[in-house]
Amino acid sequence: MTETAMNQTGATRAIDWADPALVQRVARRHRKDRMLRVAGLVALLTACLMLAILMASLLWSGHSAFTQTHVTLDFEVAAGKVNADKPGKGNYRGIVAEALKTRFPEVTSRRDQKALVGILSNGAQYILRDAVVANPDLIGTTVTLAVPVSDPYDQLAKGQIDVDTPEENRRLDDREIAWFHKLEAAGSVSRPLNLALLVNADSRFPELAGLSGALWGSFYALLVCFVISFPVGIAAGIYLEEFAPKNRWTDLIEVNINNLAAVPSVVFGLLALVAFIGWFGMPRSAPLVGGMTLSLMTLPTIIIATRIAVKAVPPSIRDAALGLGASKHQVVMGHVLPLAVPGILTGTIIGLARALGETAPLLLIGMNAFITQAPDGIMDSSTALPTQIFIWADSPERGFVARTSAAICVLLAFLVVMNGFAVYLRKRFERRW
Amino acid sequence: MTLTMEQSPAQAGAAQGAKITARDVNVHYGDTHAIQSVSVDILDKTVTAFIGPSGCGKSTFLRCMNRMNDTIDICRVTGEILLDGQDIYARSVDPALLRARVGMVFQKPNPFPKSVYDNVAYGPRIHGLAETRADLDGIVEDSLRRASLWEEVKDRLHQPGTGLSGGQQQRLCIARAIATAPEVLLMDEPCSALDPIATARIEELIDELRESLAIVIVTHSMQQAARVSQQTAFFHLGVMVEFGDTSHIFTNPDDKRTQDYITGRFG
Repeated sequence: MTETAMNQTGATRAIDWADPALVQRVARRHRKDRMLRVAGLVALLTACLMLAILMASLLWSGHSAFTQTHVTLDFEVAAGKVNADKPGKGNYRGIVAEALKTRFPEVTSRRDQKALVGILSNGAQYILRDAVVANPDLIGTTVTLAVPVSDPYDQLAKGQIDVDTPEENRRLDDREIAWFHKLEAAGSVSRPLNLALLVNADSRFPELAGLSGALWGSFYALLVCFVISFPVGIAAGIYLEEFAPKNRWTDLIEVNINNLAAVPSVVFGLLALVAFIGWFGMPRSAPLVGGMTLSLMTLPTIIIATRIAVKAVPPSIRDAALGLGASKHQVVMGHVLPLAVPGILTGTIIGLARALGETAPLLLIGMNAFITQAPDGIMDSSTALPTQIFIWADSPERGFVARTSAAICVLLAFLVVMNGFAVYLRKRFERRW
Repeated sequence: MTLTMEQSPAQAGAAQGAKITARDVNVHYGDTHAIQSVSVDILDKTVTAFIGPSGCGKSTFLRCMNRMNDTIDICRVTGEILLDGQDIYARSVDPALLRARVGMVFQKPNPFPKSVYDNVAYGPRIHGLAETRADLDGIVEDSLRRASLWEEVKDRLHQPGTGLSGGQQQRLCIARAIATAPEVLLMDEPCSALDPIATARIEELIDELRESLAIVIVTHSMQQAARVSQQTAFFHLGVMVEFGDTSHIFTNPDDKRTQDYITGRFG
């Protein structure tokens, strides 16, 4: 632009809108807009692709664990083998072995008969026992029951054992495979939904292992975590935002809370190990200690969420209440807190969801123990979902590979449910004005 | 402020019939001297308008009169403000009770996200002004009638106050403020977010309310000040330039700056 043009007033200054330089500049601007859009789209698609790959690989490797191969056999519960007065005591192992021998009368050598029993899971005898204990009238009759097969046969049924590999490199030899095919041909093999995955506790045998102990452990730990961190977090957040004087001390506290949210979780595990278990003598592997450890992590998240939600309450509402002569606590309890609730709840649930997936601190306080019974309360030893995944991923049995992925799917399902609940609460409590 | 048996300058200088007497009020925001030595008398059953360009301190001074500035950490108020001869900044005065006696209506309508009824009943409830449910119903109806809103909302008392139109919301805020039976009503640009028809209704309302209480209104509109007020104070750069009868200020101001402002030379 020339000097004279600059000096003219806006109303009379002539601008050549068709100036090539200007047109070029506009074109460049449009190109940049497009590039930004494309870059954003590419980034989004990449993220979606990663997520899809993750989910697909989990489902691919985990889907087989959602079913379990069963064999239906006739078990002769002879009165001689089970005492009618004490149905819990009895030679069920013998009954199970007998049932298989009846099915395979051609197998006569002791060694082969021993191998034959290996078709069924070690848990078959207990399933039979539980059925008889539940209904003692069964003693003296023949019970037809579907029982799980052991892990190698489960793998065979699911096509994960390649029959073309040399016999010595296979987990099942030709003879064993032939037995199984005979059962299949007789229509005795079925593959129902693997309910054991949800209702059983952990086990050495993959076909019996389930997540019940881990689910209850995680539930109790999160309960403890919630009971501690929710009220403390809200109270601390409100105090800092509404009551605390703005000085160097509160600045220091604020910085530290923000730092606390970024501390690696394994550090909290060490702290819990030293303080809760070492000094206070709390039980190892207990959901109580797990929950307390997790609440150390959730607390800063809830405090920060509370402060943000409280800060977002429009000042005009505070002014209105103060202008009517409301006292500080009436303003906070009657107006600020109700309006901040959706934000606080969302932050809390996100914090709890993070705690649900947290592994490292729980490993340090021993929640990765091998425990075959679901906990009855917060003081019982137990595992949690992520540590259970850790244990299974570490196990050598082939069946645990699929179960690890299946457990991850269960964990992810719970996270999705929790986040969905957060969205619901936010929509439910959000007030518009 | 020292407690002496003698009369303070403000008590000595208080005009007859003054509801609020302010003497030598200074307000500092941190290092900024926002209000410089302002003295004014607010008469009972009178509308006093504060006019002046943006940032002149008229709202700040208004908020001194019910101690709303207390909520701002860096704000410091010196000088004397007396309500019926009593220093409102004295230690013995509870700001919460003071604000019930000196009500306030804000620039933007700010009803609580509650029902119309609960909005109006809020003040009486927190101060325990109603013994029974019937008392409270009476106060709510009376306040809504005085705010000339009753006819419009009597069938939807239990619907959200935030669902009303802008003008209705502002009248709801006025009803809410007068429900605690204040002696003074402070209005901080109450019509700046409203359309001309809603503004006219609020102005009528101000004229009716004047019969029972003292009103102080901050306004950007000189026409509004001329229409609704009997007394006018002109603020400029934190100083009260001129204070007197509205007719006098608008027709024959003493100060050159007032003259320039009301004729639209600046502001």
